[in-house]
Amino acid sequence: MMTYIVFILSVIFVVSFVGFSSKPSPIYGGLVLIVSGGVGCGIIMNFGGSFLGLMVFLIYLGGMLVVFGYTTAMATEQYPEVWVSNTTVMGVFLLGLLMEVMLVLYVLKSEEVGVVFKFSGVGDWAIYDTGDSGVFSEEIMGVAALYSYGAWVVIVTGWSLFVGVLVILEVTRGD
Amino acid sequence: MNPLIFTTILMTVLLGTMIVMMSSHWLMIWIGFEMNLLAIIPILMKKYNPRTMEASTKYFLTQATASMLLMMAIIINLMHSGQWTITKVFNPTASIIMTSALAMKLGLTPFHFWVPEVTQGISLTSGLILLTWQKLAPMSILYQISPSINLNILLTMAVLSILVGGWGGLNQTQLRKIMAYSSIAHMGWMTAVLVYNPTLTMLNMLIYIMMTLTMFMLFIHSSSTTMLSLSHTWNKTPLTTTLILITLLSMGGLPPLSGFMPKWMIIQELTKNSSIILPTLMAIMALLNLYFYMRLTYSTSLTMFPSTNNMKMKWQFETKRITLLPPLIVMSSLLLPLTPMLSILD
Repeated sequence: MMTYIVFILSVIFVVSFVGFSSKPSPIYGGLVLIVSGGVGCGIIMNFGGSFLGLMVFLIYLGGMLVVFGYTTAMATEQYPEVWVSNTTVMGVFLLGLLMEVMLVLYVLKSEEVGVVFKFSGVGDWAIYDTGDSGVFSEEIMGVAALYSYGAWVVIVTGWSLFVGVLVILEVTRGD
Repeated sequence: MNPLIFTTILMTVLLGTMIVMMSSHWLMIWIGFEMNLLAIIPILMKKYNPRTMEASTKYFLTQATASMLLMMAIIINLMHSGQWTITKVFNPTASIIMTSALAMKLGLTPFHFWVPEVTQGISLTSGLILLTWQKLAPMSILYQISPSINLNILLTMAVLSILVGGWGGLNQTQLRKIMAYSSIAHMGWMTAVLVYNPTLTMLNMLIYIMMTLTMFMLFIHSSSTTMLSLSHTWNKTPLTTTLILITLLSMGGLPPLSGFMPKWMIIQELTKNSSIILPTLMAIMALLNLYFYMRLTYSTSLTMFPSTNNMKMKWQFETKRITLLPPLIVMSSLLLPLTPMLSILD
């Protein structure tokens, strides 16, 4: 099972995405976002990116999702919608689950799957340690490169976030 | 809005488009599009009434979907070519998805439904920015990937856009919706020649922006958003009726005016590439556009529309400052003799 752990985690990832895309109340959306964040962290860590996985837990789940949870709790309604409360929501959720199950069976059964790109069955999901990563781990070097070669990206994304805050304040200010 | 915040947000719109136009990495282009989209939302919502909020929401939803499709096309391109540089997109699937995403951003048929509704819901100045500046970024990406665009899809979208832009504008009396349908039709003309000679796309974009700027500024000057209100400009500033006449006929593509230049060049380029039926159809469908421009000129400059005597006086608001109107008017009507200069373009 451990060779196919990435495949299993990715299936849980997609299922939790289906869970919040079927639009229950935001509180329950936040719940599956926690699950998907944790599972995504697992996927990244299997590729050797322990630092990024930690960032997902700390910043995404522990920072952004906590703030999201608090604001949603302040704005919630008396009877929030669950997946089973509304026929539409349950129908969409079951449809998404069904499509994912069919895709998983297709991947498990056939040798090669070619939807937009080809990959050969479940074997492609297993991580082969090809070695030769040198002394330093690649993803730490990537993070370091973000602040040296990729300084422009940092400036642009930092400015986008700042303007995002300005825009949100401007939009919600009203008259 | 606080002037400092407004300036910051406006500059971010400009910065977003600039990042899209000058980046060589696909991810930066996507970031530029998102920055542009994020920053233009409060500009669209300058007045806080339900119409502007609905228009901003519609704009945000369609453009965000287009950005998602663009990101998927970028990732498929990455998977098949292994690199993030802006070149032509080698994989056909990625190329089709990217073309559809950029068509959604431009407002080409079949993704044109948001253009009249969003343009109608916002103020005239915001509509001006929406219909001119926001077209620059997607068109620059289309220019850069033009060698690999699937010709059938692009030409179908272009011809249908010209048809929808002409046909849809026929029943309109609201000026902003007329300008929106005019924008759809002009985008159709621009993308029709994109695969054959992308320089003409840029030429058409340049002249279209000048003419649309002129039209919007004339509308802002006479504070009119409906055909009826525009037909009373003879009362406020009689000179603008002549200017509206000239600019509208230039938008319709009539010969001695500069609006004829892009259409002429495009038809010539298409016939050079041995397609005869297509430019014939495009030229015939441009007549639909010309019809509703002429209806506007008829009611504004050529006749005094029948109305009761107390409606003949237009409410005199304080004169809005309109930037650069005389040069724009000159450029949108008198550029045709400069056509031989196009031979210096690449």
